[in-house]
Amino acid sequence: MAANYWASTQRRHWLFSREKLAEIRENFRERDKVAHTQFPLPDQRLLNIYFSQRKRSELCPPLTMPTELIKLGKRMSTRQQALATAQVYVKRFYTKNEIRHTNPYLVVTTAFYLACKMEECPQHIRFVVGEARGLWPEFIAPDVSKLGECEFSLISEMNSQLIVHHPYRTLSELQPELSLTSDEVALAWSVINDHYLTDLPLLYPPHVIAVMAIIVAVVFKPSQTSFHGSAAPLASAMRDGGMNILAALGDKNGNGPPPRIQRLIAWLAESEVDIKAVIECTQELVSLYEVWEQYSEKHCKELLGRMVKSKNLDK
Amino acid sequence: MDGRDRSSSKTLQPPAAAYLELISSLASPKSFLFRHPPRSTPPNPKPTPPSTMDKQQPSSFQQLEKLGEGTYATVFKGRNRQTGELVALKEIHLDSEEGTPSTAIREISLMKELKHESIVSLYDVIHTENKLMLVFEYMDKDLKKYMDTRGDRGQLDQATIKSFMHQLLKGIAFCHENRVLHRDLKPQNLLINKKGQLKLGDFGLARAFGIPVNTFSNEVVTLWYRAPDVLLGSRTYNTSIDIWSAGCIMAELYTGRPLFPGTTNEDQLMKIFRLMGTPSERSWPGISQLPEYKPNFHVYATQDLGIILPQIDPLGLDLLNRMLQLRPEMRVSAHDALQHPWFHDLPQLQAQLQQQMAAAYGGMVPPQQAY
Repeated sequence: MAANYWASTQRRHWLFSREKLAEIRENFRERDKVAHTQFPLPDQRLLNIYFSQRKRSELCPPLTMPTELIKLGKRMSTRQQALATAQVYVKRFYTKNEIRHTNPYLVVTTAFYLACKMEECPQHIRFVVGEARGLWPEFIAPDVSKLGECEFSLISEMNSQLIVHHPYRTLSELQPELSLTSDEVALAWSVINDHYLTDLPLLYPPHVIAVMAIIVAVVFKPSQTSFHGSAAPLASAMRDGGMNILAALGDKNGNGPPPRIQRLIAWLAESEVDIKAVIECTQELVSLYEVWEQYSEKHCKELLGRMVKSKNLDK
Repeated sequence: MDGRDRSSSKTLQPPAAAYLELISSLASPKSFLFRHPPRSTPPNPKPTPPSTMDKQQPSSFQQLEKLGEGTYATVFKGRNRQTGELVALKEIHLDSEEGTPSTAIREISLMKELKHESIVSLYDVIHTENKLMLVFEYMDKDLKKYMDTRGDRGQLDQATIKSFMHQLLKGIAFCHENRVLHRDLKPQNLLINKKGQLKLGDFGLARAFGIPVNTFSNEVVTLWYRAPDVLLGSRTYNTSIDIWSAGCIMAELYTGRPLFPGTTNEDQLMKIFRLMGTPSERSWPGISQLPEYKPNFHVYATQDLGIILPQIDPLGLDLLNRMLQLRPEMRVSAHDALQHPWFHDLPQLQAQLQQQMAAAYGGMVPPQQAY
């Protein structure tokens, strides 16, 4: 969140093309085919849901009402930011390490611990280990030095490039400019939260993500209730009518969309944001919500547990 | 994770060329906001996953004398065995209870982003089994020591003061443009080399100011250079706190003594008010809401700064007054300060300085390879 995005290490070192990301993962598979056959894992997005849901509910305060958060003071949103940063750290780490050679429970816990330091809401190492042991007693050792060691290697693997630019700031900066209602901001905020479950943070700059979230919030307007955990309404709304409207984004002479959306389109055209990228992000999100329907906590837990236990990765 | 195969020492940095390049951050778009949209979509940079080749080992550096001891680190002078280049080696002590110190993490990560001629360069981070070693550009001394050794009882000449202030403000402006507050500017954190360059160092207390601005701890900035709004307990401070510190430093360059050498928070405020006048709700609306504000502060009248700084010229005094405004929102920004007419004759002065320096080195330009 610091410094200039265009000159940032995030843009220079941690932005990948889809092909590159696929290649990295294919290399991992090539290098250790045995482990990949022996320890199949669920879709990465499902694992992300698995880890972030637990973390969201247990380690962090509820995140559903950002406008309330803003009113309450920034303490909570600092923590939201730390959570987002932690999720990005995990993604970066696993572009350089095969997940099957690590204890993902420890990596996720450490990423959270490190992100809290970075975002200036530090948590004591014993507290973090204690919380993590409360969640996953069989996978986190009581020895706090494990976390310290893992932190060291996270920092090292990320080349000390720890500052992460998030879409939240763009969202709050654009709120007045686009006269977004608080409902729209709240919805865009949760879409941003959700995008951390996908590869999007490694693929697109934060402002593209923020614009995508705003479009989803303004164009699709799903029911006001938070859709965490039950993504179906948004997914189907987006499937049904939404893609047509998205198609209209590229066509300034289209006469379909209502004025509110036309204004957004006009603004988009002027801003020169990469609309193609925005549409790709939207599609990524739709597919996340589709995958989400297959999510089974039990299944994730079993596969991970089998891998960690039989490879003694928790030792 | 498997810790066992990570015990080998390991560098964090891409090859030297990658970090030695001067990032033209100033030429790139200042913000990704769309108010000033880039004419074309910025090119998607080719992903360059950080290389693990060209590893630097701690043994790549010969450790020379100790330069200082900080709260979380010891700093040594070092020499690159291959190139002979002098460096500063900052050894970070790891704490089994808190992992890598937050201050170190913040400093390293900010230094990775902030590359500027007025900010000391972080060349490399070397990970060994149980310690972190930061390899910094070597600077000869800090401003405090420089004043003690070079100045006339600590006082510096006009040309040097102007040159240092310009570089200091350039460094601050760059930080602020990049939404980073230094928060701990003081002569000990400003580093000087033989070329007369001044650079900002020690970013251990620096922070990025993104969304949350009112969660800052008010326990930052060494007391003497601490802004009155911070002393009064404000937690919503911003870039203006670094400007206050810069103002205090400017006065000190003229006198050789700290401007406000307070001993406690209260004493610090009194020393400031005695000179700058005691602020009131009239001169500073909202002041009475600040946590440390007391309605019974002794009321001092505003003094003329020129009286204690007889050497300063009227333009310099004007700039100093703009920096030392009690009300944070009245303080000049680093960007505007750099445009101040006081700096207009800097190029001529710098030419003179170079001549002086050449004379001091026996008519020779100081050797370049040391930097």
